[in-house]
Amino acid sequence: MNLFRRFFNNQPQPKSASDNGALNGSITPGAVPTTKAESPLQETAPLITTAPILIPDGATRPLSQESLLTYLGGDHLIFGQLSDVGMVRSNNQDAAISYFVSSRSNDERPDFGLFIVADGMGGHHDGEKASALAVKTVATQVTSTIYLPMLSGQTDNQVPITEALTEAVQKANADIMTQVPDGGTTFSAVILIGDLAYIAHVGDSRVYLLTKDNIEQLTRDHSLVQRLIELDQLTPEEAADHPQKNVLYRALGQNEVVEIDTLFRRVPPKSRLMLCSDGLWNQVQDREIADIIRQNANPQDACNKLVALANKRGGLDNVTVILLNLPG
Amino acid sequence: MPETTQFAGGGDNSQDTSLKPNHVLHNRYKIMGVLGGGGMGTVYQARDLNFTDVRKLVAIKEMQTQVSDGALRASMLKTFRREANILATLSHPAIPQIYDFFDLNERAYLVMEYINGKDLEILLAQTKELPVEKVIEWAIDLCDVLEYLHTQKPDPIVFRDVKPSNIMIDSLGKVRLIDFGIAKTFVSGAKNTMIGTEGYSAPEQYKGDVSPQSDIYSLGATLHHILTRKDPRLEPPFSFHERPIAVLNPKVPPGMIAIIDRALLFSGAERFRSCREMKESLDTLRYRPMMLPSSSQAPIQQPPNYPPAQYPPQYAPQQYPPQYAQPPQYGAQPQYQPPAPETPSTDFFREGTTNIGTIQPKWTFKTEDEIRCSPTATKDQAFVGSYDSNIWSLKLDTGELLWKFPTKGGIASSPVLDEMNRTVVFGSEDFTLYAVDFRSGRISWTFPTKDRIRSTPRVAHNFVFFGSDDGKLYALAAPNGRQHWAADIETPVRSRPFVTNELVIVGAESGEVAAFTLSGNRKWTYRARRNIISSPLVNMVDNICYVGSGDGFLYALDINTGFNSWRFRTHGSIISSPAEYKQLVFFGSTDGILYAVNTQNGREKWKFDTGKPIVASPVVHKDAVYFGGTDGYFYCIGAENGKERWKYKTGGAITAMPHIAGDVVLIGSLDHTLYAFPLGT
Repeated sequence: MNLFRRFFNNQPQPKSASDNGALNGSITPGAVPTTKAESPLQETAPLITTAPILIPDGATRPLSQESLLTYLGGDHLIFGQLSDVGMVRSNNQDAAISYFVSSRSNDERPDFGLFIVADGMGGHHDGEKASALAVKTVATQVTSTIYLPMLSGQTDNQVPITEALTEAVQKANADIMTQVPDGGTTFSAVILIGDLAYIAHVGDSRVYLLTKDNIEQLTRDHSLVQRLIELDQLTPEEAADHPQKNVLYRALGQNEVVEIDTLFRRVPPKSRLMLCSDGLWNQVQDREIADIIRQNANPQDACNKLVALANKRGGLDNVTVILLNLPG
Repeated sequence: MPETTQFAGGGDNSQDTSLKPNHVLHNRYKIMGVLGGGGMGTVYQARDLNFTDVRKLVAIKEMQTQVSDGALRASMLKTFRREANILATLSHPAIPQIYDFFDLNERAYLVMEYINGKDLEILLAQTKELPVEKVIEWAIDLCDVLEYLHTQKPDPIVFRDVKPSNIMIDSLGKVRLIDFGIAKTFVSGAKNTMIGTEGYSAPEQYKGDVSPQSDIYSLGATLHHILTRKDPRLEPPFSFHERPIAVLNPKVPPGMIAIIDRALLFSGAERFRSCREMKESLDTLRYRPMMLPSSSQAPIQQPPNYPPAQYPPQYAPQQYPPQYAQPPQYGAQPQYQPPAPETPSTDFFREGTTNIGTIQPKWTFKTEDEIRCSPTATKDQAFVGSYDSNIWSLKLDTGELLWKFPTKGGIASSPVLDEMNRTVVFGSEDFTLYAVDFRSGRISWTFPTKDRIRSTPRVAHNFVFFGSDDGKLYALAAPNGRQHWAADIETPVRSRPFVTNELVIVGAESGEVAAFTLSGNRKWTYRARRNIISSPLVNMVDNICYVGSGDGFLYALDINTGFNSWRFRTHGSIISSPAEYKQLVFFGSTDGILYAVNTQNGREKWKFDTGKPIVASPVVHKDAVYFGGTDGYFYCIGAENGKERWKYKTGGAITAMPHIAGDVVLIGSLDHTLYAFPLGT
């Protein structure tokens, strides 16, 4: 009887002998090694990877795109990250962090990940100080208020994820106000718990969701030109070369209290989430971003190629990209 | 090396080449100190040594350029000379006098009147509040000087940069406009991200269009900042209307608010036609009618007059709604319209509430005691439980009695249909769960628990799930009522379980929300601070469970993990069960309000205040929300905008959820009566 099967058979079946241990909490770093050590500044290769690919076990042999797709991204997320100074600037004011924890045990902890891109602003190294401080503060707070309680199983009456994340970003804002008074930073963060993504956002770094045939910008830029577009005073084309296209009206480190945009999304299987600083989206169109991501099953390859393309177009700004490939 | 700056023009004085005190410039001006700087120049205070017997102070503006680009330097010098030339030809009490202009060591200097005072930005920082009457005086004087500039021949002079830091208040309390010509053109080609917008600039200035109306906007923005103390550089651009002056500073008279609002209109054509017109409007706030200037060109419809600091009681601030009600009208100018509602209503009842009495029940049916539970219906048959201990079955289209079934206790649990087994299932205060054949009204099976049953059952997967005050969650086989399992929760379970394909989720008196697998094993628990009577609702696409608690919060829980995604605070208890429609979740609270909250971020979309506690659950049908209040009213409101469409007063409080059946909505009231209202269109 179908019903009974559902009633009594709903414990997840062990997939292999090694999964049979009662507690086998392997912590899996999600980053996948890059295909080859290539400098993102010297990218000249075509964007579509057809060359022999080094797969993580070390063997080199040609693989078709299809077999690569089935090989990578088993039952947990994999991610890539790259931050580059660009071709013009002398320093990188962007900051980023990615971490992802996957475990398998009787406790059924969901996978957990934290991903942040922050783009600092201010002279005298204040920009990179502000973005670094934002990343450090939020990562520390999120780990202690969200992840550690989750790991120890103390989730009864836990602070709502959205609130804990917002509080962490407010704390980062306060820290910047006191410690780097002349600096500021944009801030975009994704917390992934299972397939639920929580996003916090201030400024003009962006988070995109890519599905099979769609790229969607989940965050809204807090920029003057975006505001003018929303008020029908500018077209997106006019905004692209507006003299004040880089003027933000909201960032961390600017005011005692900052309004933080939050949202959460159940992310579909096999979709991709991308965080990036304006160094990418100012140089590379959304459509091109989508193409490169689709053509590169390995997220680190995709990050390298996206940064390389931004640099090829002039690399006027620091570029930071984090790409998450969600499991199918 | 490109440098980023915080706030445009905020300046980074790393290369300090400024003149030091006691330096004598041009053999005449002895530098005393620096008055200000930033942007393109430094301003010094200096003493004019030509006046040997008196201490004549002057302000010297120095344009020093570190710009190596010759063309750019030339253009900056030209701008500086233009300022000097403009100032030299002007004569107005609010414009500083110019004494001298010269070049020296590749720098240009402008010598002008020293103004002993403070600029408004500093005054804002140093005070808690500036008197409204004083602000009105300054506004009038600013209109006067701007009008003087705008009427210059051959071309009007547009100041382009009205803002608190460019307005000095001198030692006599009079306004002086400073900083002509510098930084008037927006810095172009900035490659670095900057924080902070001009904040005071009119929208058209960002497209390069500048007119006297742009100065009017900036003046409005400046006045808004001074009166609300909300710095527009820290807010989204052009969002002044989101910070109503009436809310932020109740001391500002409505007439002043209306003038500022008009100056801040998005379209230049809708603002005042001139500073003179704006000044005339401001004058009406200052003077009594007999002192009004008689030169009005356009007849000005009088705003009410306000003696300083004492307003007629009918305009007492608290009576003045935040939504910019009744702005004064300005002659033939387009009248200011308050912002349109966020979501324009598309319903048939847009004109407002249909008055009581225009909607009438199709039929009513009176039971013998209070109706505390929700009705249900098949396509032709309605069922309702009453505290008179009966389940009543009625014809859906007429309300005629078909049968009634007596239990041994009042009925607070709502009857639910089990279509597959042709029964109606309900619990009773007599501790028993009943399944009654819905055609005949004859008993099919019963199941005894050890306490009262107030939880409404859920029929799913051919099982009946329900809770009892005996502290258990039961799963019974729907065809025969045989117990499949019972899970211990230990405190009374009064909410209705929600059943997905994998889980049964239920709330209990202890405040816990518990999720069990369909085989009865506990998967996760979330603890709210107080009891849960509200029934969980699961969005099966997002896999998020919404549930209210006696602690006043509505919680959004991830059903895979039980983690709390967000919560929304009300100021009462939430007994009402949530309903969902298009990324909005609706629920009532005992604070008297029905809330609509955006499910994507947990923020309020709208609220509807009934004034009396709401314990009943709403139902959404098409684009309308139906719910009853303890005020006795049954409400129909727009789901997208929270606007009332109609309401009907029943004879008692409503504590139960409505039920949509065919073309009617059924609702029971504590007045013992079941009402059937037509769904309309």
